[in-house]
Amino acid sequence: MKEKNGFLKKLSGSRELGLAAILIVLCIGIQIKSPSFLTPTSISDMLKNNAVTMIMALGMFEVLLIGGMDISIASTAGLAGMSVGLLLKYGIISNTFLGILLGILIGIVCGVCVGLVISKGKVLPIIASMGFMYIFRGFAYVLSGGQWASAADLGTFKDFALTSYLGFGVINNVIMIVIVCYIIFFVVTKWTVAGRKVYAVGSNVEAASVSGINSDRVKLVVYTVMGMLSGLAGVLSVSVYGSAQPNMLYGQEMDVIAACVIGGVSMNGGRGSVVGVFLGALTMAVINKALPLVGIDSIAQNTVQGVIILAVIVLNVLTQRATDRKNLKGREM
Amino acid sequence: MSDYVLELKGITKIFPGVKALNNVQFQLKKGEIHALMGENGAGKSTFIKVITGVHKAEEGEMYLYGKKVDFKGPKDAQAAGIAAIYQHVTAYPHLTVAENIFMGHQIVKHGFVQWKQMNDEANKLLQRLHSDFKATDEMGTLSVAQQQMVEIAKALSTNAQIIIMDEPTASLTKNESEELYRIADQLRDEGKSIIFISHRFEDMYRLATRVTVFRDSQYIGTYDVDKITNADLIKAMVGREINELFPKPKVKIGKEVLRLEKLTRIGYFKDVSFSVRAGEILGLTGLVGAGRTEVVESVFGVTHPDSGKIYLEGKEVHIKQPSDAMELGIGLLPEDRQKSGLIMSWGLGRNVTLPTLANYAKNSFLDEAKEREVAKKYLEEVDTKAVTIFDPASSLSGGNQQKVVVARTLAQDLKVVIMDEPTKGVDVGAKAEIYDIMGQLAQKGYAIILISSEMPEILGMSDRIIIMCNGKVTGELSREEATQEQILEFAMEKSEKGGR
Amino acid sequence: MAGKSGRTISAAPEKAWKTTIFSWEGIMVCIFLAVNILCMCLSPNYQLKNVLREMPKYLAEIFLMFPMVYILILGDIDLTVGATVCLAASLGCLASNAGLPMILVLVLMLVVGTVCGFVNGLVLTKFTELPPMIVTLATQIIFRGIAEIALGSGGSVSLADYKSFKVLAGKVGIVPYIFFLVIIIGIIFAVVLAKTTFGRKLYAIGSNSVAAEYAGIHVQKIRLIVFTITGLMAGLGAIFLTSVLYGANTTTGQGFELDVIAMAVFGGVSTAGGKGKMAGAMISAFTIVCLRIGLGLVNVNAQVILIILGVLLILAVMLPNIVTMVKNQKKTAARR
Repeated sequence: MKEKNGFLKKLSGSRELGLAAILIVLCIGIQIKSPSFLTPTSISDMLKNNAVTMIMALGMFEVLLIGGMDISIASTAGLAGMSVGLLLKYGIISNTFLGILLGILIGIVCGVCVGLVISKGKVLPIIASMGFMYIFRGFAYVLSGGQWASAADLGTFKDFALTSYLGFGVINNVIMIVIVCYIIFFVVTKWTVAGRKVYAVGSNVEAASVSGINSDRVKLVVYTVMGMLSGLAGVLSVSVYGSAQPNMLYGQEMDVIAACVIGGVSMNGGRGSVVGVFLGALTMAVINKALPLVGIDSIAQNTVQGVIILAVIVLNVLTQRATDRKNLKGREM
Repeated sequence: MSDYVLELKGITKIFPGVKALNNVQFQLKKGEIHALMGENGAGKSTFIKVITGVHKAEEGEMYLYGKKVDFKGPKDAQAAGIAAIYQHVTAYPHLTVAENIFMGHQIVKHGFVQWKQMNDEANKLLQRLHSDFKATDEMGTLSVAQQQMVEIAKALSTNAQIIIMDEPTASLTKNESEELYRIADQLRDEGKSIIFISHRFEDMYRLATRVTVFRDSQYIGTYDVDKITNADLIKAMVGREINELFPKPKVKIGKEVLRLEKLTRIGYFKDVSFSVRAGEILGLTGLVGAGRTEVVESVFGVTHPDSGKIYLEGKEVHIKQPSDAMELGIGLLPEDRQKSGLIMSWGLGRNVTLPTLANYAKNSFLDEAKEREVAKKYLEEVDTKAVTIFDPASSLSGGNQQKVVVARTLAQDLKVVIMDEPTKGVDVGAKAEIYDIMGQLAQKGYAIILISSEMPEILGMSDRIIIMCNGKVTGELSREEATQEQILEFAMEKSEKGGR
Repeated sequence: MAGKSGRTISAAPEKAWKTTIFSWEGIMVCIFLAVNILCMCLSPNYQLKNVLREMPKYLAEIFLMFPMVYILILGDIDLTVGATVCLAASLGCLASNAGLPMILVLVLMLVVGTVCGFVNGLVLTKFTELPPMIVTLATQIIFRGIAEIALGSGGSVSLADYKSFKVLAGKVGIVPYIFFLVIIIGIIFAVVLAKTTFGRKLYAIGSNSVAAEYAGIHVQKIRLIVFTITGLMAGLGAIFLTSVLYGANTTTGQGFELDVIAMAVFGGVSTAGGKGKMAGAMISAFTIVCLRIGLGLVNVNAQVILIILGVLLILAVMLPNIVTMVKNQKKTAARR
């Protein structure tokens, strides 16, 4: 067992490089086929449209790292987005930043609920988050009362996704936020004690408790952060798509999990990195963007995506088995 | 100011259902290596966890440098300069050595973890211990001995004055053990106090000046190592003379039942050949990691050998999965009862009948009354301490759990019974009962393979002893010629390179 | 070698009625009754006749719950059932519209479902390292994706020959056929689980798959069988869903997997494996169906029902945990 872990780690060390290489090859291939692909506007569009997945993938990365699961995130995002959309529609708030802040707050509250039920109520993460998936989505519908907020209702809020306050042109505010989130997470997970605690809990809960880490608190914080990012993603998606509906982002949690898995985050906890998540989410984005460009019918996109996810995880197992075998053969006896 | 750096008085620790420690005491002097000995389940590990604040004792007091202390958690103990190296290495396999060493007390500047400084510090500590690996290596890639080194480095990094080592030599080769002795001596000379838990007498003689013995959750006594004889120490630990423990009956040994020829599984064991006969108890021993369990798992069909042949009563057999082995009459009592032996949440009865369900079914519908009857019969036969057959397996003590596994074996139609560490975690009284059952099985004509690391058990029960080292059979001794020294010599042969 | 101490161990089972009443299933019956009484108070229209009329819409899901209980007891999970229903229904409708006779359409739908389930089972048993959650997540996307491709740009198909399918939605008196079928299949699944060696093996695998393997159980073979059966039942669910919807689209069966898992969990089946009974799951399924129908009759938004479901689900799982935690605290307190 010990030897296995070692090789797996080496593999995942090179995994980010491997993924980056695949990504570059993919981009070059598409670029040759369709020269409009690697233009600033096209890239900006792609990032903007995938901002929601990219942001939530960061939270999911932490959740998976501690061996957890959260399928309520799309509902949380929907609730946050819908609430803010309605507040804007009825003119209760008009300030864009206030809207974003409220979305984040709603996300935090949702995340705390999920985290408490999992850490204190000892409910399995999949069940707890499934329950909250219903509850938050239900709230979103009840709040909306059958209404939805259209682009006209949102006023200046939708401009947020189109402009860049800092004057970076195509790098609009949403992309800016994505970049900032990734930088913060990269720093926190690598260079702070709190970030390393999450790794510790994910790698060996028992050892963590022996070294005095309160794993319940770590869990609570991780799910709260997940909720916070979901809330943020929810309001951003309202701005990006210029509308808020109660069923917005339905099923998005699956894309988010897929991005993490492609990025090399282990579903069993303990393994993964922010760079991997970034590359995983980017790979998904590029594939989504590229399929129509290379002439694959948009209708087949989901299928291709599913096949890619399956191929990636099966390939992982096969390489793992191969390295294990090689490792055993090399063992001196 | 007291003479002792650490003193515990009247410690009692209760877990649901059992008293794990009953009014025990302990004193540790400055700069001494103090051995703590006792059988499995005597309460040593629990005691250590009380000292390190992982468990909180229900009763009793603890004094550090003469001052009463009350640890709320592991952090408090760590802050007070107590560090423990646990039996099951509590490492983070996915993280680097440096991070493993500094987890919980990372070097932080302005809120940022200082990796470079941590790596440097870790490398310095590792150099001090003459280790052959780097701070940036992955913990999961290291051998058990190397991981233990990391744990020691971790203890040093917290500047601990009291270091507890819980069975550190259990899975080390001779050379690795020597290395550990050297480090322990070095630490003692630096003025640190060490509590050393071990099963091996040689560890104790080599290192400790005093030894404290626990038995059945109770304190038995503290002795000077150079003043107590081997026999007295065993008596203190076991509570009776050693030859009373092994009531091995004389059995007429019959025909050969199982034979392995050059069985090989790449990376685990190579060219293993031996045979066992009806009525014979074959001891299979060696250090942890020598490949004993892996061999029998391949025989039982849990894993698959890459080459070699298995013969049952002279005929070659091909075993693809455990059910094949059972049909042929080979049974395995796995080492880890909780993980692979029993379904802990189930009642005893259902655990007994699980492999033989088809016997109680008509058209695959279960006849539960018949099933209960069979379960009751065999559970009573091995004298299980239980009220009903519906008691969950988790409610039994280790020894009684083992009896349930034996009862299950009896319910099957077997010829070969393989017992992998059958008395691990079993208290003394139940041990004798299990040896008794083992003897009776041999009398009934079963061929028995006994895998054990416990020398007295191997010497006391086996008709013949096969010793493995590093995946190969290195020696075979008959009951008459076998001695502890000889076995150890075979067991450590060739393993001097260490590390896998 | 009789026991030396002469100790005897009792093998008499506990009184059945005692364990039944205080079990989770007993509580479920009470909740079921309470829900029905509540619905009757809420709406004068909550009558047997109306309830049975509304029921077929919801019953197709229950077909999926039976094998899902098996899967959860095994300690696995299957997120594909909704997508399998969608694929089977879509292909079935398309084939029917293309002129395939009714009987072959039905067979086709069952086969499609079975193949989907078999694919899941094959991947999971060949690559046992993979968590079922992520594998079925991927295959779910693929199955629904294939349905999307098959349905083409419109994303939906309506059944031309809906009359043949309407036969399936027929009734005996006021009771729809599907109701009988659900009960019969439910009883078969329940009996197999509770009374046969196969059922016992499912529990063994879910409680401790390593120990089950050591006890000679063919763990992977059984997993493959159960996943394949799940596919078959999804095909059956697709048939009956088509018989009330007269068509299929890309969102057919969306969210079924989670609804079905919620029903099972609310009925006392643990997602950790090894625990739960079919009776509990069935009562829970009917409770949820009745709740939906009742609240639907008084025009409570379907989404409010989502909230109620979510709360019930979490409470159902959390309450036993909290009860045991409090009990343990009391125990240790008493011992001190």
